[in-house]
Amino acid sequence: MNRRGFLKLASLVPAAGLMPSTLWAASSKKTISASSTPSPTNTQETAVTAPKTVRRRNIVLIKLSGGNDGLNTLVPLKDYAKYQKFRPTLSQPAQAYKLASLDGSGMALNLYMSHLSKWWNQGNVAWIQGVGYEHPILSHFRSSDIWDTASDAFVESEIGWLAQVLPQYKSGLHGIIVGEGLGPMSGKDCHTIAMQSPQVFLNQISLVKDANPLKNASPALAHITNIQHQLHEAGLQIKEKMGNPRPIPGFANGVLGRRLESVAQMILSDVDTAVYKVEHSGFDTHANQLNKQNNLLNELAIALDSFANTMQANGRWDDVLVVTYSEFGRRVQENKGGGTDHGAASVQLVMGGKVRGGVYGERPNLNELDKDGNLHMTTDFRQVYGTLASRWFNVNNPWSQFKTIPFV
Amino acid sequence: MNALTFREARHLVSRTGLGAEWSSIKKLEGLAQAQAVEHVINQSPSPLRPTPRFSPWSKLEPMRDDSTQGRKDAWVIAQEEGKRLQGWWIEQMMATQSPFIERMTLFWHGFFTSSIQKTLQPSLLLEQNLMLRTQALGNFKTLLHAVSRDPAMLVYLDGYENIKGRPNENFARELLELFTIGPKEYSQADVKAAAIAFTGWGLDPHTGDFVVRPDQHDKRPVTFLGRTGSFDGADIINILLEHPKTAERLAEQFWKAFVSNSRPSSKTMQAWGAQIRRADYDIKEALRMVLNSPEFWDEHNRGAIVKSPIDILIGTARMGNYPRESTGELVNLCRLLGQQLFDPPTVKGWAGGEHWISTQTLLVRASYLAKIARGSMDRKTDGDAGFPVSSSRELIDWLVAVPPVNPPPEIPGNRRLAHALLLDPAFQVA
Repeated sequence: MNRRGFLKLASLVPAAGLMPSTLWAASSKKTISASSTPSPTNTQETAVTAPKTVRRRNIVLIKLSGGNDGLNTLVPLKDYAKYQKFRPTLSQPAQAYKLASLDGSGMALNLYMSHLSKWWNQGNVAWIQGVGYEHPILSHFRSSDIWDTASDAFVESEIGWLAQVLPQYKSGLHGIIVGEGLGPMSGKDCHTIAMQSPQVFLNQISLVKDANPLKNASPALAHITNIQHQLHEAGLQIKEKMGNPRPIPGFANGVLGRRLESVAQMILSDVDTAVYKVEHSGFDTHANQLNKQNNLLNELAIALDSFANTMQANGRWDDVLVVTYSEFGRRVQENKGGGTDHGAASVQLVMGGKVRGGVYGERPNLNELDKDGNLHMTTDFRQVYGTLASRWFNVNNPWSQFKTIPFV
Repeated sequence: MNALTFREARHLVSRTGLGAEWSSIKKLEGLAQAQAVEHVINQSPSPLRPTPRFSPWSKLEPMRDDSTQGRKDAWVIAQEEGKRLQGWWIEQMMATQSPFIERMTLFWHGFFTSSIQKTLQPSLLLEQNLMLRTQALGNFKTLLHAVSRDPAMLVYLDGYENIKGRPNENFARELLELFTIGPKEYSQADVKAAAIAFTGWGLDPHTGDFVVRPDQHDKRPVTFLGRTGSFDGADIINILLEHPKTAERLAEQFWKAFVSNSRPSSKTMQAWGAQIRRADYDIKEALRMVLNSPEFWDEHNRGAIVKSPIDILIGTARMGNYPRESTGELVNLCRLLGQQLFDPPTVKGWAGGEHWISTQTLLVRASYLAKIARGSMDRKTDGDAGFPVSSSRELIDWLVAVPPVNPPPEIPGNRRLAHALLLDPAFQVA
């Protein structure tokens, strides 16, 4: 392989996760062998009759990077006049939205997300509105950190929220990032690999020889050999299960489409992990928001439709939950450039076969903005995290002081 | 006293330098231990690379106040200059003949962190780096006073907003918790008292220079760590320097950086702390003690430190005839490996040790090391002459701090062996 090209590949791996734990190694061998593909003779059969215990529940986390404008994702039909006053160039005629009305909620879906209507009608889509935290911070970096670590606005933490959930749920590999950004899976107990795609990962991993975890070396070397062993095992698993991934016919194109296709391939190949994370970026729409955001949401809806179709066709729709999040929403009053500045509360989408469809959370009040002109949050983001922990993964809820939401 | 063996000299070089450079090891081999330590701590400073020109405070701050667009433009400038600042230090570390000074500057940067992302003032971070490097082997008391008046620090920990009637506790808290006595030794009332004492230490809004503004200083008497008086910032620092925990916690950081990632015994730390105080916080004297300590030379502590990304990236490149990456790529690799210079993850700096190694970072480390090793293997014209060693035994002794974990390649040859050693887990520790 061309050596210059080689390091380029490696550079696509995202920045460091923090502190992998040595505990992981002890239990992972068991996990990986227990979940590996059954012997070749009965592969065909097990694809249908695989015991339920092997099937993992997955979350596919999609970060809408840059700060997605909730008000133009779910448009408040009930407060339409008020909304239109704040958004003279960013709003459509009310009539247009009537068709996209999410029944009974007083909200309408962005017209460019119509690919989701089939799933909404099936009751597989939940929207949670007014999601945020007290004392909103308007910095991308800082607010992303808060969302990633489930901390209060003024508390710094390096432990991702999933690192507080997933080690309770399973041992071995906890998460796979397709693209960049470890985010919610940072932390000493969370084991993740990052890849541009399974194929690229397989190229890189070939460099990593197995290492016997050393027990009586220095803790430093013991830790390194443990991690190296785990990395090697993850490589073996991906190689074994994904040796020859087939493209999924008709799957959505574009960066997000390709990433979700990789996720779909890994889920269908029974890769043993709990969370997949991808990023969909470009939502920092300070100017000319209308087209930009519509296009991004359109791309999102089309990719999600492909993904859901693939899962449903293969009997896996009940095993997955797609969850979107963004570091913040946007200012209620549009700016002079036809865009919006950094805001606070926004909306989250949850989708899956087991989802209880509907719109959850209280509609943010357009008559009562905070000192910066942003929406007050009505749902603490940790209510969503806690729901995912306790109602989806069935583990202890680290944020039990916040109420869960019955969207699943 | 016995003369240092090759392995001992290697240990000293790899813990205090940037890479176990062959020539440096050979220089120290055969010297008495104390003499070798003197060589290390008395390196005469290499000339500094020309410092980049950065937009001054007086340009960036008015831009920010001007308009949304101005704020954006200032942000773009800060990002671009921030990258150049990172590149400047990387180049300095790559070229220096006094790696111990770079290492100590990096040590203090991790101890007294400030970040280009919060301050958005690369010129202030450069000034801070120049200050840290001048004081790197000076006196901790002087250093602590200087840091407390350092403009980048005043922005990073909001000290410049700490004024009479509107105290901001951020700097006061970190001064107590991180820079001196540690979290168990004070109460919230002490933090409040210290913040009041520091009121009036700020920045000139036009130049960004440190200023003391008597009209913004709250002269009220406060009680701080059991003493009552009308204190200013310098008084608070002096009280903290008298506290035995300040020296002990500094000793812990020296332990972590030079001896082992495992926790030291509190007895050792008390002894080291007492010595640091006896030396009146002279840093060189403290390091002389650390590097001559039985713990530093204890065989059990070989390989007890996980190499930092800087050690892997720059140290390996300095060790041999290896091809090196472009500055931009090294800046990028620092980010991927979790050690962005001038941009530590939190106010505590880099957690370091085992935290450096995760499944992601290990993969990037392996990619980098494989590329470096392959580059050297491809230089066919050199034959085996690229290595200064005469046997494979010597090559192993040189490249790794502890015996390799994996068996050597079956086909002999130094290049192949060097490749295997660079990718061995043993290469990740010092």
